[in-house]
Amino acid sequence: MHIQELILRLQRFWADRGCLVGQPYDLEKGAGTMNPLTFFGALGKKPWNVAYVEPSRRPADGRYGENPFRVYKHLQFQVILKPSPARVQDLYIESLEALGIDLSKHDLRFEEDNWESPTLGAWGVGWQVVLDGMEISQFTYFQQVGGLDCRPVSAELTYGIERICMFLGGYDNIFDLTYGEVKTDEGVFPVTYGQMRQREEFELSAYSFEHADLDLHRRLFEDFEKEGWRLLKTHGHFLSAYEQALKMSHTFNVLDARGAVSTTERPGVIKRVRDLACGCAKAYLEHEEGAPTDAAASAEVAK
Amino acid sequence: MGIAIPHDEKNPEAPCTTHSAHLYSPRKLAWWGLNYLVQQPDQTETQVGPPQKMCLDADGKPTQTGLKFAEKWGVDFAAVRFEQPAGKKEPCAVVTITKRGRPTKELLAETLPGLVASLHVPKAMRWGKSDFEFVRPIRNVLCLLGSDVVEFSVDGVRTTGTTWGHRLHHRANPAPVAVASPEAYEASMEAAGVVVHFLERRARMEVQLHALASEIGGTVVMDEELLDTLAEIVEFPTIVRGAFPKEFLELPKEVLITSLKEHQKSFCVEDAQGGLLPFFLSAANRPIEPGSEAEKLVAGGNEWVLKARLYDARFFFAEDCKTRLEARLEKLQALTFQRELGSYFQKGERMVELASELAPLFGLSPGHAREAARLAKCDLRTLMVGEFPELQGVMGGEYLRREGEPEAVWKAVKEHYRPAGAEDGLPSTAEGCLLSLVDKLDTVVGCFAVGIIPSGSKDPLALRRAGMGVVRILWERGWGGDLLGLCRQAQMVVGTKATKPDAETMQALEAFFRDRVAYQLEQAGYAGPVRRAALATGWSDLVDLKARCEALSGFAEDARFASLAQSVKRIANILKDEAPSEAFNPDLLQQDEEKALAARLAALEGTTDMRQLLGALAELAAPLEAFFTAVMVKCEDAALRSARLSLLHRLRTLFLRVADFSQWQ
Repeated sequence: MHIQELILRLQRFWADRGCLVGQPYDLEKGAGTMNPLTFFGALGKKPWNVAYVEPSRRPADGRYGENPFRVYKHLQFQVILKPSPARVQDLYIESLEALGIDLSKHDLRFEEDNWESPTLGAWGVGWQVVLDGMEISQFTYFQQVGGLDCRPVSAELTYGIERICMFLGGYDNIFDLTYGEVKTDEGVFPVTYGQMRQREEFELSAYSFEHADLDLHRRLFEDFEKEGWRLLKTHGHFLSAYEQALKMSHTFNVLDARGAVSTTERPGVIKRVRDLACGCAKAYLEHEEGAPTDAAASAEVAK
Repeated sequence: MGIAIPHDEKNPEAPCTTHSAHLYSPRKLAWWGLNYLVQQPDQTETQVGPPQKMCLDADGKPTQTGLKFAEKWGVDFAAVRFEQPAGKKEPCAVVTITKRGRPTKELLAETLPGLVASLHVPKAMRWGKSDFEFVRPIRNVLCLLGSDVVEFSVDGVRTTGTTWGHRLHHRANPAPVAVASPEAYEASMEAAGVVVHFLERRARMEVQLHALASEIGGTVVMDEELLDTLAEIVEFPTIVRGAFPKEFLELPKEVLITSLKEHQKSFCVEDAQGGLLPFFLSAANRPIEPGSEAEKLVAGGNEWVLKARLYDARFFFAEDCKTRLEARLEKLQALTFQRELGSYFQKGERMVELASELAPLFGLSPGHAREAARLAKCDLRTLMVGEFPELQGVMGGEYLRREGEPEAVWKAVKEHYRPAGAEDGLPSTAEGCLLSLVDKLDTVVGCFAVGIIPSGSKDPLALRRAGMGVVRILWERGWGGDLLGLCRQAQMVVGTKATKPDAETMQALEAFFRDRVAYQLEQAGYAGPVRRAALATGWSDLVDLKARCEALSGFAEDARFASLAQSVKRIANILKDEAPSEAFNPDLLQQDEEKALAARLAALEGTTDMRQLLGALAELAAPLEAFFTAVMVKCEDAALRSARLSLLHRLRTLFLRVADFSQWQ
């Protein structure tokens, strides 16, 4: 199956089950959870169902486009269901069937895997979903986001698009996948993932491992942080401040890929991103609902 | 969730359950018990009221007080008796009332919701809109007493007499599964594709693993922990066998085993020579017919994923091999071991120093010991250990072997994290044991020197395990000498990094290692009295301690022992408030009994072999008894008294070379 067909089917499936089809957020980020559609959407009381594709950048996973399985940037398909429906696992299984996976002939395991994002102050409880030995999804009941309790609880489903495509087609190399087909008057031209992305993988890997200016990135990290807190504290603007937190997070990932963050500094640097993200979450909830829902969590943020 | 409470009508007297079982699978938690009463027994009790004279008037008619008493307990006044209860001066109104036993079902319906809510869950979660917390969302509650549903609800989920089968492989029959009775639960679930007994799932997998391995002429590289994990992940286990390309066999065996285990939860298969075969065994969560399309697809899928994993492992291995292991030394500077104790580079330097000092003590060449210590931590900076932290040591050793280092060096590096736990063995070579000893001594002594001391459940750096490793190496290798002396040497090497006074650190180390040594004696199977008596006279030389424990254990059976232990305690009592002189003049002694004892003492003082010494001490039982019967130690004659006290003092010193018998009880 082509990558775009897989995406279209998932969008259709979840739209039919009452989800908004969202769009990727136009800033670098490491995971679909960081999209404000999830980060803020998972907070507060109002019902919220949304599904979207998120290109996710992990500089340390870059392999110059030479490794058939690992890439700097991959596509996540993210679904948020708030409150988590009682049939959520069955819905997920039906979505796999909508992709054409005949589960009567395959093996599916839900393995305990509790998720945590220290940069977002978020954690949840759930499973990794393993199909014939391959992890294809992460399934999480959010307990906290931005240091605040999630009430009600959202279910988050994350599909690894390329992995599922490779598995379905039995591909041994991610770059051999077909993204889709271009049809012109001259005929039909399939476009591979490699044609679309391999050069990008090479350049972005080289950037993360060799060319990124470390001093610039250290400076950027500091500046984004100052900017974020200025927006949040002076203006009470949590959305623009949150963008600064996302930029801090990506800047940190670039520095980390270069080994420029020592193991001892690491927790401290991550905490600086988390503090800003948690500050944004608190301001958002106050804006939406008036007062903090969880006194203990707010006290934590104030620290 | 299922709660099943059968009752046994043949045995209605049983007060509560006599048999129970816990059953669970990834989606189910179940408990059942046997021999519950359907109806709780009636209970009678006697209530004492006001005195008779207040309850009856002069005509023997009930008074207001009397009527009120009867009314209070819900009986007719006719049921009130007048008796004089113990402790009362006059007859009082008495009633006997019977409390009807309640139906067990009612009691269960009241109790169970609270019980479910109070179950301890290590990491609880909430779901949906509810504030209820549990390990995973509760979707169904099956609760039976016999064949009746016990009615209650947990977080809005009402109890039923049904439950659900396998999520995927019971979908052809989408109705819930009715469970007729608790006894039928396991069979009903099995029919619906769920094996609810953990041990049963585990046992079935074990059988299949062995069968599938022997089909290809191999044996499973068994891993009990992995088997436990898999038995907890699947509801209906079927083992599938897959193959991987032979070229991956070039990777070190440990890499393959670890990669398969950590990434794919799969087992390796080895041949009779211990070499791996290009096959693996995985557990699927469903029934699979042999030869079916599903079998082919599941095995094929696993093979595909595994190939990707092995490709990665081979990439790490090839990258690591491009530069000599030694090249990582500098990079260790940036890897913190512990804040005050510095980087792994500095730890490595301390290990080199300590290894050179200790090697000669155990008859080893300092050259190899230094080299192994210098390179021991380099693999922490390899890609492979970055990916699989549990391969630390193993990879360093492998890379050094391939670089042509001598076996004494690479094997020492490879095994220096052993013993990794109580079940694990020591490094197989003397050099490996030395390196492991040096590493662990530096860790324990260094941490104590900066105030990191395990207490209660707090032991974040696993110092107790490291300390146990130190003790086991000395004990099992038969390396004598002074354990506390080794600590002092390690302390010298830690030097100025210490933040605590040296004396304080040594005191804490002494208490710490004494506990570890005591535990080692327990593990070695010595009886309580042997351990206490042997430890009390010193434990820092483990070889000496072992010899004394052996001697004492053999001797404890000896009939003369009780008498001897008694005499030794008596000596201790006599000497308690005395300051006996070291100088002993046997010529001052007068009575035969004491002269005999002195003669034996002189003969024994030169003996060094513990067993021989203890045997000879046993022979003192009779002379000692005779001595205490005939001789008055604390006599008037000061010189004689002093000589007698000295005799006893020397005897006690002799005994203390083996054990402190006052601790023998």
